[in-house]
Amino acid sequence: MVRLILFLLVSNFVMSQSYYVYVASESDDTVSLLKFQNNEINELERITVGTYPTEIEGPHGITVDPNGKFWYLSLAHGNPFGKLVKYSTESNEILGETTLGLFPASMQVSNTTGFLYCVNFNLHGSMKPSTVSVVDPVTMTEITTITTGSMPHGSRISPDGLFQYSVAMMSGELFEVDALDLEVSRTLDLENKMMKKNGMKHSMDDMKSMDGMKHSMVKPTWVIPHPNKNLAYIAGNGSDEVIEVDLDQWKVSDRFNTGKGPYNLEISPDAKLLIGTIKSEGKTAIWSLEDKKLLREIKNTTSVSHGIAISSDSKYAFISVEGIGGEPGIVDVISLENYELISSVEVGKQAGGIAFWKQENL
Amino acid sequence: MKNRFLILILSLFITTVVAQEKSVISDLDELKLDIGQIYKPITYSVDNEGKKYDCERQYYYYKKGAFNMNGKAIEYNRANGTIKAVEPGYHEVVAICYGSGKSIRRTFNVTINYPKVKSIDIITGDESIYTNTYIPLSYKITDQMDVVRDIDYWKSDNAERYFSNLEFSINSSNNKLNIDDSNNVLALESGSATITVVFDGIKSSRTISIEKNPVANINLSLQKPEEVRTGDVVNLKADAYDKRGNLISDIKIKYSFTGKSFDKSNSASGLILQDGRFVGDVAGKYILTASFGNTSKSKIINVFQRKVQREVKKIGAGSVNDKHTSDFWVFEGVDKRDYAVTGTWGADGTAYFWDVTDPSNIKKIDSVQVDARTVNDVKVSPDGKIAIISREGASNRKNGIIIIDVTNPYDVNIIKEYTKNLTGGVHNLFIDEKHVYALSAGQKYYILNIEDPTNPVEVGMFELGKEGQAIHDVWVEDGIAYSSNWRDGVYLVDVGNGIAGGTPSNPVAFGNYTYDSGANHATFPFKSKSTGKFYAVMGDEIFPNGVNPNGTNETAGFLHFVDFSDVKNPMEIARYELPGHGSHNYWIDNDILYVGMYTGGVRIVDISGDLLGDLYKQGREIGYILTGTADGYIPNDTMVWGAQLYKGHVFYSDFNTGIGVAKVSELKPNNSMTNQYVD
Repeated sequence: MVRLILFLLVSNFVMSQSYYVYVASESDDTVSLLKFQNNEINELERITVGTYPTEIEGPHGITVDPNGKFWYLSLAHGNPFGKLVKYSTESNEILGETTLGLFPASMQVSNTTGFLYCVNFNLHGSMKPSTVSVVDPVTMTEITTITTGSMPHGSRISPDGLFQYSVAMMSGELFEVDALDLEVSRTLDLENKMMKKNGMKHSMDDMKSMDGMKHSMVKPTWVIPHPNKNLAYIAGNGSDEVIEVDLDQWKVSDRFNTGKGPYNLEISPDAKLLIGTIKSEGKTAIWSLEDKKLLREIKNTTSVSHGIAISSDSKYAFISVEGIGGEPGIVDVISLENYELISSVEVGKQAGGIAFWKQENL
Repeated sequence: MKNRFLILILSLFITTVVAQEKSVISDLDELKLDIGQIYKPITYSVDNEGKKYDCERQYYYYKKGAFNMNGKAIEYNRANGTIKAVEPGYHEVVAICYGSGKSIRRTFNVTINYPKVKSIDIITGDESIYTNTYIPLSYKITDQMDVVRDIDYWKSDNAERYFSNLEFSINSSNNKLNIDDSNNVLALESGSATITVVFDGIKSSRTISIEKNPVANINLSLQKPEEVRTGDVVNLKADAYDKRGNLISDIKIKYSFTGKSFDKSNSASGLILQDGRFVGDVAGKYILTASFGNTSKSKIINVFQRKVQREVKKIGAGSVNDKHTSDFWVFEGVDKRDYAVTGTWGADGTAYFWDVTDPSNIKKIDSVQVDARTVNDVKVSPDGKIAIISREGASNRKNGIIIIDVTNPYDVNIIKEYTKNLTGGVHNLFIDEKHVYALSAGQKYYILNIEDPTNPVEVGMFELGKEGQAIHDVWVEDGIAYSSNWRDGVYLVDVGNGIAGGTPSNPVAFGNYTYDSGANHATFPFKSKSTGKFYAVMGDEIFPNGVNPNGTNETAGFLHFVDFSDVKNPMEIARYELPGHGSHNYWIDNDILYVGMYTGGVRIVDISGDLLGDLYKQGREIGYILTGTADGYIPNDTMVWGAQLYKGHVFYSDFNTGIGVAKVSELKPNNSMTNQYVD
């Protein structure tokens, strides 16, 4: 029996793995299903999304259901509201859809409540609080909306599935939503009161514009909770930093600098690495989560680095890169063992939302 | 021992799986509530052995969603765990039972009762009731919530909803009225009769006076062309007289028609309005009738084929086959030569400039490339000096517009990028009187003064100011901006005309028309040269089956002709609908419509004379061309974006082929290639 187990373990170790990733291309109205195997990534299928062949509907956020059977896509532009569309991973065909708010963006399904929480980014709207849409993905019904901050982005669920976190880019706040109560439970101002810009110290009053609304200098764009500690990490897109928040104390516990324009952050499932896209520099940064030391910055294949998906075995990061104008979108594969870019594939233009689907033994 | 261990593990696994198969039980099942009633459902779960489990949390929601545009039929108060009945009808409510870290759900049918009827008013209209005429009954029903519903005799959709839910009966006190199986009431004899109706157990009566039908004779005259063709509107004028020859003025004469097609395999078809307007769609013999009670008068007319078909020939083309082409604009340059600009879609942000002075030899002469994926719209100022192109998909998500000096179209130069308030994407724009009207994020339009094109100044903005406002296009003519707002239809906005005191810095809306499909995508103002009537021609954009990634997209929708001669009372009176193909952008000149019908190609349609009914069926189409080519971006796939008449030539852009030009000939179609057995 022991020999059998050992054999299976060894076999599993030496067997080749294949990894599957979905990526949305915002300016092509397509989603690509990618397969990474033997150090090479390829596009298996390009799925046309949206309902208007002559209008760009802007697929932005994408996530895979925890059961692996479905993927969900947010379409940013409608008349005027965006949509959430549910697809089968088996067939990549539409199973249902529902209307959400203005420019619905990132989202995730709670394995505990079963609800999907999607931020209504309202990127081009006025500086006023927007919402998180709570959707029952079984019936594809938006069951409620929860008001948060101005330009909410980066919807991520706590490991226990009981809290949803998002950041408001314009009002510079972290929001914690009780995933069961469906209400905001806590809000945290992310501004650095001692922040200096151009050598000048800015007070909070400096962050208010003529309209009286706060205009964040941090401009947070993403939040990712730690897999097993009560910490969360936030990308300060405007302040070029990562902000660590102690969720027990509900306060900022650390800040460390990044390159220009950090955008998305993800943590490897083994909780060892923090990966961030440095959007304005077209790079991907890898930090050791233990000491927050920068291990490597890797130049992406083209410019405007966007989203991150990490394989369930923590070996690979899949980075979506938007590109500019007519350039194709790119998905770069970075080895998280030797921190090198090992493969790339072209997808539709302005590759953005990206989600890891599954890992298979061959 | 090992086997026992494995069996134990397996048993636990099976037990867990079986135990997880729970179902939601709730007293919501077939629940009936009265409007306004607040109810706290009892919900729990049971496993497949019938063991009951309490829910740690319960959620309820109306299945049409919290953000449903049709309103909330059932509201849920999460704090109290109650639901509230808001709208009568048959509704689906989902109950979610959360426990042990998992959610399970079930949909239940809940009926919200219509409130009991409190009172009924029987309405018979203001006109006198005469023998041998039907009485136009309607009912004003007030329920116990004091909600008043008008149930119209002739509006069966509304009536059916009500009648199907309530016990209803109607009878007459005597034989002076005849009530048929469909509850229509015919007055038979003069005198008085009492109609009694019962709705939901509530009785109401109305005594009516029936007068003897005074009409002894009807004089019917027709106002029509000497030869009536399909699509020509014939005006019927009928006067009723009593037996002494006196004119009777206070009655409503009914107009109707029957007909027979000249073509044995076709059926007569047409439309008659109760103001006396008739149009024949199909060539044939038509009997037009004016009647009142048992008295009628008819006239017979022949309707002949319109015979407006002409040869339409492709003259030239400027190919763009490595990317999709979007909108275009043809203009006269400052050097008096003729030029065009075309946009591109889902590509690399390029706009192309063309010399079209010789339409048979279109030359690509310059281009600009901007940071965008789509240049959806392109327009040129009337003086031929400035082109403005719209941006969507800019890499920094700051889209806006690009202003280009086209004084020398062979060497165009970008002179300004403008993004303020336009970062969300400019889908369409229009240039008028030194101002540009630019859509912003599909929700509103901004008005910029471009007297100094290097320094545009925002002077105004127009939006509907309502939740869910959406806009797709704006077109300006004679100081009136026509914005197409999807489900909110067209808005006529004074931006300098003076009709409502508006200016570019103070746009004032003064007219609006909506229609049921909610797909208003473009609007073109049209003053008929032949009749002087003023129309807003409102176009749909519909893809009934969404995107077809593997071939030709199915398109639908049509052009709605809305008579805006009375701005306060617009009337939709005609349509141009091409079966199987949907409308996109179009142009009207000299009472001729040039329309890009997407997969249906460029269609050229005679819209002269009074307009009524189905213009396509009336044979008003002059001709058409299909524009797909073998070397197109998608080969042989016609997808016409729009059309523009310019100096006698029909220019068009096609999604897959670029720009092209056609000419409408004076000649009738050459049928020499036609199957010899087809007449």
